[in-house]
This record gives sequence, C-alpha cells and structure tokens, in this order.
Amino acid sequence: MTRRDAAWAIVRAAAVAGAPEFLNAWMRHDETSAAPPEPDRWTNYEPKFFSAEEMKALDAFTAILIPTDETPGAREAHVVPFIDFVVAAAAEYEPELQDEWRQAMRRLHDYHFNQFSPADQLATVERMSHHEDDGNVAYELIKEMTVHAFYTSRIGLIDVLEYKGNAYLTEFPGCNHSEHHQI
Amino acid sequence: MAMQRYDAVIVGSGACGGWAAMQLAQAGFKVALLEAGSQIVPYKEFRHRWPYELPFRGAGQPGLLRKYFPGATEFNYRIMIDDRDNPYTTPPDQPFRWIRSRVLGGRTLHWSRASDRMSDLEFKAASRDGYGEDWPIAYGDIARYYDRVERLIGVSAAAANLPQFPDGVFLPPMPLNCSETIFQAACGKLGLACTPRRVAQLTRMWNNRPPCHYCGNCINGCDVGAMFNSIAVTLPPALKTGNVTLLCDSVASHVLMNDENRACGIRYIERFTQRRVEIGGKIVILAGSSLENTRLLLNSDKGGLANSSGVLGQYLMDQVGGAGVTGFLPPLKGTRIRNDDGKLGGLYIPNFSNLGPRSGSGKFIRGYSMSASGGAAQFPMFAPGLPGFGSAYKKEVKRLYPAHARVWLSGGEMLARKENFVELDPVERDKWGIPVLKIHCTHCDNDRAIYRAFFDRATEIFRAAGGEIFHSAPSMSVPGALIHEVGTSRMGADPKTSVLNSFCQTHDIPNLFVFGGGCFVSTGDKHPTLTMMALTARGCDYLIDRARKGELA
Repeated sequence: MTRRDAAWAIVRAAAVAGAPEFLNAWMRHDETSAAPPEPDRWTNYEPKFFSAEEMKALDAFTAILIPTDETPGAREAHVVPFIDFVVAAAAEYEPELQDEWRQAMRRLHDYHFNQFSPADQLATVERMSHHEDDGNVAYELIKEMTVHAFYTSRIGLIDVLEYKGNAYLTEFPGCNHSEHHQI
Repeated sequence: MAMQRYDAVIVGSGACGGWAAMQLAQAGFKVALLEAGSQIVPYKEFRHRWPYELPFRGAGQPGLLRKYFPGATEFNYRIMIDDRDNPYTTPPDQPFRWIRSRVLGGRTLHWSRASDRMSDLEFKAASRDGYGEDWPIAYGDIARYYDRVERLIGVSAAAANLPQFPDGVFLPPMPLNCSETIFQAACGKLGLACTPRRVAQLTRMWNNRPPCHYCGNCINGCDVGAMFNSIAVTLPPALKTGNVTLLCDSVASHVLMNDENRACGIRYIERFTQRRVEIGGKIVILAGSSLENTRLLLNSDKGGLANSSGVLGQYLMDQVGGAGVTGFLPPLKGTRIRNDDGKLGGLYIPNFSNLGPRSGSGKFIRGYSMSASGGAAQFPMFAPGLPGFGSAYKKEVKRLYPAHARVWLSGGEMLARKENFVELDPVERDKWGIPVLKIHCTHCDNDRAIYRAFFDRATEIFRAAGGEIFHSAPSMSVPGALIHEVGTSRMGADPKTSVLNSFCQTHDIPNLFVFGGGCFVSTGDKHPTLTMMALTARGCDYLIDRARKGELA
C-alpha cells in the first residue's frame, strides 16, 4: 500500500458512518454486483387499491407485457403489488391517477379479461396495443407503469439489464475500443 | 440587550457564501454565516441508494415532486425546497421554474459540477454585435481568480486551446465512455472541437479530499466530498479559523441600515420558532442566490435597497434549454453492459457560433454549447416509449440499453432584456411572512433561434455518429429550468444603469456586497457557477483591502 492509498483509506474509513460495511461494499467491485438485496415488501402484501379480481387481471396482463422467459419477468419482480402501492398512494397529490386506473380496470372487466384463456388474453393485449383500439389508453397506462416497476426492481435492473453502475471504482473504465474512435 | 456585532454578516452558504466565509475568516474577520436551511450530516444523509430501496423507486409519491419539488427526484428532494413553504408567483402566461435549496451548502450539494470559464467573447459581446452592454470586466481581470478557485475546488478537464473556452488549472480529465468516444469521432468529422466535460470532481486526491469513486450519485449529494460543494470544501477551512459563527435555520428578511446610509446588519426569522432576530455587521454580504439576494434588497426598503439606478430586479436571465436529440448508436447495440454512468460527465462541445470579430450576421447573435453522452443508465429511459411487449420487447430493451445516447443543450445564451424582471408580489407571503417574488420572464426571438440552431446541429451530430434518432422533437424548456438564473442586480461602471460595481459592491452603499449570479450582465454560453465564485474571490480581495484601509466604514 502506497502512502497515498493509505491516506485515502484513512480519510474514507474515518469519514463514513458504518465504515466496515462501506469498505466491504467498496472491495466488491468485481463481476458480482454489489447491489444490496431488494427489501421484501411484497411477500405478505395486502392490496390497498385494486380488488382481488383486478389484481388477478393485472397479474396476467403484466406477465404478458414482461414475461418470464430465459430471464425473470414481471411476476418475479412483484410488479403488480408495487403498482397497487403506488396507485393507492396517489390519493393525496394525484387523485386523477386513481381515476385513470379505475377506467383501465373497468375496461379489462368489460372485456371479461379474467375469463379468457391465456391465448385469448395474449390476443386481447395485442389488440389493445394498437393506437386506434378502444383499449389503447388502458394498455399504455399499464405498460408505462409496468416498465417503470420492472426496470426499477432489483430483478429488472441487475438480473435482467445487468446494470453495472452505482459502484465503487478506483478508475473509471473508459472506452478501449479502437473502432469507436473512428466512425 | 446589545445586538451581536460581527465584522461581516453573510447571508447564504452555497458556492459564493461559503467562499466568502472562508476568505474573510482566513483574513481574520469575525463572520456570522446565515443559512435559511438546516445543517445536514453528509456522511449520514448521502449514501449510494438504489431505486428499489426507495418507497416509490425514485419517482416519489405520485404528484408530490411534480407539484411541489419541481426538478427533484425521490433521491434528492430532501435537499431541495418545498414550494408550499416557499412560493413564488408569475403572470399566468409566463411560467418560470425556480429551483432552489435551503440547506447548509445550498445548491452546491446537488449541482451539475460543470466548471467553465467565460471568455472575452462573452464579456465583450456587446461591442462585437451591438446588443446590450459589455461587462465592466474583461477576462484578464478575472483569470487569476478562476485560477484560485480551480486550485481549491479541483476541476478535472483537458486543455482545449480555444479562445471561446479558456483553459485553466486542471486535474486529469475523466476518460470518455464508448458513446462519448463515438460522438467525439462524429464531432471530428464535422470539424467541431470537443473535450471531456469540465467538472469540479476530483480525479485524484486533492486538498485532503478523496478522488471520485464513480458511483454516479453526484446530484443526490456526494458521500465523500469528491465533488465540489461548500460543506466539503469551503466551510471546513472557514470553520477551522474559529472566526465563523454558523447560524442555520435562519431566514433573512431585511438588510438593516443605519442613519449614515450604511448597512449595519440583518434581520432574520428563526425557521422553527418564527422568532425575529437582528444581528449586526460592519459589512453585509448577500450570497443567497441571484434572486433571493434581489428579493432581500427589494424587501429591505421601499422601492428596493441600493436601487438608485432603478434597475434592481431587471434583466433577469436563465439560459436557453430544452429537449435534446436522443436515440441509439448502432455500434453499441447488443454489446456487453459496461459501467457507463459512473462519472456523469459527458462530452462537451463548446460554442462555435459568432466567434468572429463582428458577429451577428447570421440567424442569431451569441452562442450555445452542447453536451453528448450515453450508455447503460440506472433506468432505460427509452423503454416506456419503445413499442411492443413480450419477450421480443424485453430482448430489444436489453439490446438497445447500452446504445441509448443523447446530445443536449448545455446552455444557450439568453439575451438580457429589461422586460424580464422580478418584483415583490403585493399579496403573497412565504411561510415566514416575507413577501415572495413575482417573476416575469419570457423568451425572445433570438432565444428561440438559438434553440432551433442547437436542435438542428445536434441532429447533425447524432447522424454523423451513425445514430438512429428516437422520439426527438424540439421543445424549449420554460425559463428557469436550467437553474442558471442570473441577473437582476447587474454590475456596471455607471451607477445610473447598474446596481453593483465590478467588485459586486453596491454603488449606493459601500459596505453592502452582493455575490452570486445577480451581477451577470449577460449569461454567456457557460455554466455560471465558476464565474460566480471567481467574482466572489475578486470581490472579497477588494473588500478586505478596502476594509483594512477603513474605506467601508
């Protein structure tokens, strides 16, 4: 350890509350992500906004939007309980968001979405994805929130996207591809 | 009880207030430093957090941030201010966004760290194109103060050797990521100069501060003080002198005056108790941000204190900003994910418009600067707008993720116009009963022409990079959104047409100084903070010299 390294380590160790955890996280800048686990907020989650029927419809809908394939999907990322949590919390400052979701849920109810076979559900989502379809407003609302919920979850961000940032690095890894210097 | 009397009372602890406190305290002045917000403990408050650790994954409770904390995210809104406690008004058809912080260190806690020197092409632009006024200073008057500020705060940058973008005292630049490297090649093809963005972020240990560890959390507050902010850089040496009395949670409401036309202190309101307190100072320094300083002056006397010129509040400017050009760089599609957003710097493309001796023959006068960057970010911003769903959609998001890129407007000059001004709202008061500002600000044709020129040129750069443009439409942001609001207490040689002299001393009251962006005569095309700090250092040199000669009494 050089003098400079030592000084740096001391400055940081002394300055940071919870120094051992800090240094531990700092040491792990290898291929394994140092991202902490996601707090478990969803195992025994009681829906606050959606009915059981709506939760079931949303579960099927979001699993079509972001399915479980070679990588985890909306179900593993607990997208639906998160959406319920957010929409319930909109009561205070953005009640119009709740109205939008009520209308979207009414649309799925009117379509008898829950009674369909998986193939028919897929066909319904496909139809709603077209701009001219009556259900497109509902589709866009559910998709936007699903995409936000999925890619901000640990599963979406770390396991699926393999995001490498928010780390501790000693040097920033600049571009080392000669082909990017000439285009 | 006799009023506490200090050598100097400083209002505000941000970039300029922190600097002034440090410089005066080191010169032996007994200083009272007032801060309207609270003192936070950075090493407790600022941690690397993840979206999934926050209740609303970064977006905040629906409606809350959009309505009351514009410009903030769930990561940082606690170091911004709540518009419900701190309102301001505008005419209904003239929206303005005033993004502020009340906390020890102010907006330095979450600023974008861009540290650019202004050049004589900006200070003396009026002489070249005939619009407005020159600054009363030239680059030569301020260069050594830029040096001094850069030496202390640490700026990582590369020399560019361009007259419109003066070089300074630099730490090694941060390396470019892949997208920035591609944009650099594109600029080369178009004959545009470009350089790693100059940022007040350390690339090596500097003045006992650790180097940046590239976590990308700068705008949420740096956990180790590797970026410049007051609480890590200027306030520790200020407090170390023993000459500074720090008064947090103290909301200044009035500059106090004595019978000899001298400022003699500040009246403030204790934030939590609402108790009114007066403290005395032989010198009063306002450094609470461009517009808060002006608000204090307007509130301190009928018609505004230090306003014999009548221009106090006038010539409000932000910089021109708006939507950039975004899309994907094909060579990066489907590549292995790298750490692209750890340094948050980008590639900087300095202004190249109207550099000639007689500018103004084109579609607009003055200039603009751009930035470009891209790569895997903490959220795939393009994903909600990408059509489709299912496995194919998911795979496409992953494939495009490292290729997402953008070119944005760092700052375009917004012309100084008298009709853009602030005044006290006749009715509305803040939580402490202080009249709030009514802000009148619009863009003019030249501002719009600059934005349009930017958008066309950014499109050209994106195409030269081989990029595919995705969901990009020109759209100017409302004034204030760049958080570069300056002017309203402009400097000038003539007391009849300006509030401050070139040392940021009010023409009318020799012991009253106003540091910050208020003194700006024009915005230029650079980020303003470094210039504000250099002008503060220059003003403090002058203040100390005159005070010692007894000329400020």
